Amino acid sequence: MIDDVRTNTRETILGGDATEGSLLAVGASAATLAATILVFLFRPAIAVPMVGAFIFVTALGWVTYQAEIARLLTLIATVLTVLTVTFITIFLFASALPAFVEHGLGLLLVPIQGGEVRWFFWLESVLPVGESYWNPAGGAYSLIPAIWGTVMVTLVAGAIAGPLGLFGALFIAEVASDGLREVIKPGVEVLAGIPSIVYGFIGFQVLNGFVQRSFLDDGASFLIAGVVVGVMALPTVVSVGEDALSSVPDAMGDGSIAMGATRWQTMKSISIPAAFSGISAGVILGLGRAIGETMAVAAIMAAGVGLANPLFDFFDASATLTSLIAVNYGSASESTVDVLFVAGVMLFVIVAGMSVVSQYIERQMREKLRGEA
Amino acid sequence: MSEGYADETTLVNAESNVYDRGLDAAIGLSVLTFALGMVTLVDAVPLNASGAALGESLVTVLAVVGGGVGIVGVSSWANVTPVESHRVRGIALGLVGSTLGLTVLAYAVPVTLATLLGLTLVVEAVAVATAGLASRVEAVDTGPNTSAGLLAGVVFGALGLAIGTAVGGSLVGFDSPAWVAVALGAGLVLTALTVLPREDVGSTVPAALVVGTLGLTIATAAVGVGWQWNPQSLSGGFTGGAVVPLFVLVGAVLSAWAAAKCRAGFGARGREFGAFLVINLNAFLMVAVMATIVVFVTVKGVGYALHGFTIGALSALVLLAPLLVVVANAARTPAGTSDWHTGARQLFRLLPLAAVGSVAAVLLSVLLTGDRLAYPFTYSVQVNRAQRSLDTALAVTPEPTVGSLLLVVPALSLSVYFFRSYGSLRNVGRRFEWVETARRTLPLAVAGTVALTGLFLLVGPTPLGLPLGGTLGLAVVVLAALAALALSALPLGGVLVGEGALADRAQDAATLFTLGVFGGLALLTAALFLQATATVTPSVGPVNVVPAVALAGAVASLAATALVARAKRRTDETLQRRLLGEETSLGLTGVAGFLTLLGLHVAVTKVSFTALGVSVANAGTLSWPMTMQTYVPLGAEPGGILPAVVGTVWLVTGATLFAVPLGVGAAVFLTEYAEQGRFTALVEIATNALWSTPSIVFGLFGAAFLIPRLGGDESLLAGMLVLGFMLLPLVLITSREAVKAVPDEYRDASAALGVSQWVTIKSVVVPAAMPGVITGVILGVGRIAGETAPLILVLGSTLNATESAQVLDGFRFTAQPPFVANDALLSASASLPTQVWAVIAAGVSGSPSMGWASAFVLLLVVLTFYAVGITARTYFRRKLTYE
Repeated sequence: MIDDVRTNTRETILGGDATEGSLLAVGASAATLAATILVFLFRPAIAVPMVGAFIFVTALGWVTYQAEIARLLTLIATVLTVLTVTFITIFLFASALPAFVEHGLGLLLVPIQGGEVRWFFWLESVLPVGESYWNPAGGAYSLIPAIWGTVMVTLVAGAIAGPLGLFGALFIAEVASDGLREVIKPGVEVLAGIPSIVYGFIGFQVLNGFVQRSFLDDGASFLIAGVVVGVMALPTVVSVGEDALSSVPDAMGDGSIAMGATRWQTMKSISIPAAFSGISAGVILGLGRAIGETMAVAAIMAAGVGLANPLFDFFDASATLTSLIAVNYGSASESTVDVLFVAGVMLFVIVAGMSVVSQYIERQMREKLRGEA
Repeated sequence: MSEGYADETTLVNAESNVYDRGLDAAIGLSVLTFALGMVTLVDAVPLNASGAALGESLVTVLAVVGGGVGIVGVSSWANVTPVESHRVRGIALGLVGSTLGLTVLAYAVPVTLATLLGLTLVVEAVAVATAGLASRVEAVDTGPNTSAGLLAGVVFGALGLAIGTAVGGSLVGFDSPAWVAVALGAGLVLTALTVLPREDVGSTVPAALVVGTLGLTIATAAVGVGWQWNPQSLSGGFTGGAVVPLFVLVGAVLSAWAAAKCRAGFGARGREFGAFLVINLNAFLMVAVMATIVVFVTVKGVGYALHGFTIGALSALVLLAPLLVVVANAARTPAGTSDWHTGARQLFRLLPLAAVGSVAAVLLSVLLTGDRLAYPFTYSVQVNRAQRSLDTALAVTPEPTVGSLLLVVPALSLSVYFFRSYGSLRNVGRRFEWVETARRTLPLAVAGTVALTGLFLLVGPTPLGLPLGGTLGLAVVVLAALAALALSALPLGGVLVGEGALADRAQDAATLFTLGVFGGLALLTAALFLQATATVTPSVGPVNVVPAVALAGAVASLAATALVARAKRRTDETLQRRLLGEETSLGLTGVAGFLTLLGLHVAVTKVSFTALGVSVANAGTLSWPMTMQTYVPLGAEPGGILPAVVGTVWLVTGATLFAVPLGVGAAVFLTEYAEQGRFTALVEIATNALWSTPSIVFGLFGAAFLIPRLGGDESLLAGMLVLGFMLLPLVLITSREAVKAVPDEYRDASAALGVSQWVTIKSVVVPAAMPGVITGVILGVGRIAGETAPLILVLGSTLNATESAQVLDGFRFTAQPPFVANDALLSASASLPTQVWAVIAAGVSGSPSMGWASAFVLLLVVLTFYAVGITARTYFRRKLTYE
């Protein structure tokens, strides 16, 4: 058993055939690296010399056993990447733990207004209720308004990005001529590249005024934040949807065309159904983008923690989970910071979950199209 | 799957008639209405404009439409992009015609834009209904199905529900439940009208009803410009300013769809045309949104950002040189498809060269005449809530001076470019005994100089008090420079001296070319670095030796290259022409290389160099206050955002240094070493999850994990690492794709030659994957350069920073651990995205003008990364498919 593990480890680190010398070189290098990471975690002050030692040992190994050290270095890169994900997860949860322990379900306190419980999907029977829902001085931290804000923004964004994204994907994958596609596809990519703070600045400077003028609102609103976030999520939906449509085998479409169907009939009855799961993966990924979007929302709606009244009032405004963190972190007290970490954990879990689900759907679709499932 | 299928022109080549022409016009009108709806939604033209004001705006639209259609028409006529479809031609004509008609109407009849749009919708409704009924009574030849289909029925049902709600709500009010009945009734009636009759009626009459209702509502000002509806239960409401454009947009899309169906004669083909038209309109909308964002930010920020931008004409010329080379090369290579007219092909090849060449000519004329070229403009900034207009100018000054870095960058890139186009001159030309000797001794000389450089770097120029640097160093520098001078003169001498025709002499001199250019460049580079470490600058009289030699080398190489190029024109032998072409590339590499060294010398020694009135200096040739100055408190001139620019540069550099080795290494391990299975799948899922993690979460992680370990304060280093974490998955995913895309044949062929796995990876797989990796890195960097949310938590930026991070000068070495420290890395810094955020966060005290300008600079940086990345990808992809 132990021998098994040893051979396995040895093979992973060194590859098939290794000599004693290379074992020494690789071992020394790996040991110094492990020491460096430990030192950085617990005594960061002396991490720099440890890095120097690692570089020295590795350079020595590089001169003598280049192939083995190179293999080790790529392995280290992989391990560090995995470690990054692990550290992010662990530290987020660890930092959020105190707030979980202290407030428990109080983090999901449903507000009472005018002596009446605000309607919240009949959840008030399980969740605590209370008058004061966000009051750092009084120890009331309910994330319900921020969660609801996120939901509202995401709904509007989805209504924008979903249909437009589907049409856009259809255009690029099926309708556009080759020359036009060469222009539009990079254009969509550039749209994805415009920094969110620029969207936010446009929203802050221009769109808020537009809403006040044209929608008689007193300033920021879920509507405008949702529209901006929807435009930002659009390229994700378009490119993932386009990938899905393009991965439908040509033979399927050709068969339909050969039967005398028009291209639109082929699209509607063959391409879209075959790529449907891929397109929905794109929409899910786009919604994940919308949920995680920070700067545009923070710039447009600023802070303000209140529950929309009535609940579906798209002209109201409140912080979302992301903008709550961005706006409050700098000035927050210790216990508020812990609550903000809870918000971060929620975002992380939701968005990472959506990403995994969308990957799963996409993989299923590809396997199905290849006839493997 | 666009090509390969017959399009409508080849399938049906019927002559078009009045019905077709009329419907083309209706589609054109609908498309125009759609565009006008977008224009009014963003308030570019006010809805209540009328008379001459409206006419002027419509003339602008007419110019845009006419110009666009004209360009497409001309290129179709010139066979560049032939448009053969009758429908497309018809719609284009309809578009121009309807724009013209609306413009004339606007001048002739005193109506507001809102009324005009309403009437247009009514006209469209009538046209669509007429076409549908004409088809129903069999006046025209169409092929409708028995029903318009359930999908259309559902869409119209939903529209009817919405209209019914609005009508019912305004007639009976939302208090009584009667509005529900009205809404349901309208929805049901429209659905029935769509689904039950034959397709030609089912897809036109409901559309005409909806469009007509919307049009009448607008035209009769039932919902006009000043209309308002402010329900008590919502915190907002609706005004005519927002509702009218939305009505117009919906109406335009509906009527365009219905008219397109009629035009293609209903049935399967009609549905296709209708759906494609809507999809095309959607794509047009997306492109318009993107263009609007970019143009809007540019218009808002460019005035402030370019305040006082001044550049020397010579510097501008030098900067233009690489572009000039690229367009000249493009003009030389044939382009385009064979069915282009040759005239059009020539034009497209030469157009870029002509454009860049004329700019160069203008700069040259500025240089020669000595007149300053300036474009003065005025822009307004908001200072303490008051608008203030500032006068400034973009200027090109006639100074014959080049900034040293402005010389180094283009010269170096040109040198690399020419070197890459140079192949090999091995075994070409006559052999001389002394050349072989020189070739063997050269590496020794260079190595000796480098060793001396290393020595001085370690112990300083005066070890143990001995002034070695001033004596030995000086002597070696002078000797090396003289040797480089002699070497660089070799090619010219070889071409000039000897017997036979010029071409033969040039070919014989190939050995001298390689020795002269490579040897000269190597020796002079070594001398340059030696003089920097020995802190000497040998000079003869007022002239510094090293730059003078560099200049002489450049001139000599240029002369030799010119002679070779001339000889190449004279000769007819193909092989000789190729060899001389190689020599030309090599000679140009030499010219650009020597000029690089000249610029480097000035940059390192900070002493400017002048020859024949032209000088290379360190300052004064480029002034861009926005990015080259720090904030000026209470100054008359607006200050710049240098700290933010410097901060972003360092953040991007640090993140790239962190993420690229890790990402590429992991990609190589996962693809080349690891067995594909659970582990790789797990890593893939983890990286994808990391990729989609919200950026603010990275910020939280940085704040909780990194900051306590990096001195406890917000710092530049923490920002670099956090951005590095974000870049890591991007690099990993794209590198993995690139490594996977390397064909297995490459690996097999290498293995068959007995090459070990690591050497295969090093010299086959990674080089083949490099283009993909580089492209991925560029696009990823473009993305993180604009990332703001994590930086708010870890970077500690403030508005109006006046100090930029001095990372290079910040290193300190200490005797006790940690031995090396850098205060600049461990202190807060500014960055471009947080600069914009700081303006927002400052509220009223922030200057919006500066915010726009910062956003513009940020957009410029990010879009440049994207443009370079996308261009590189297209280029490499073309190369891979041998296009």
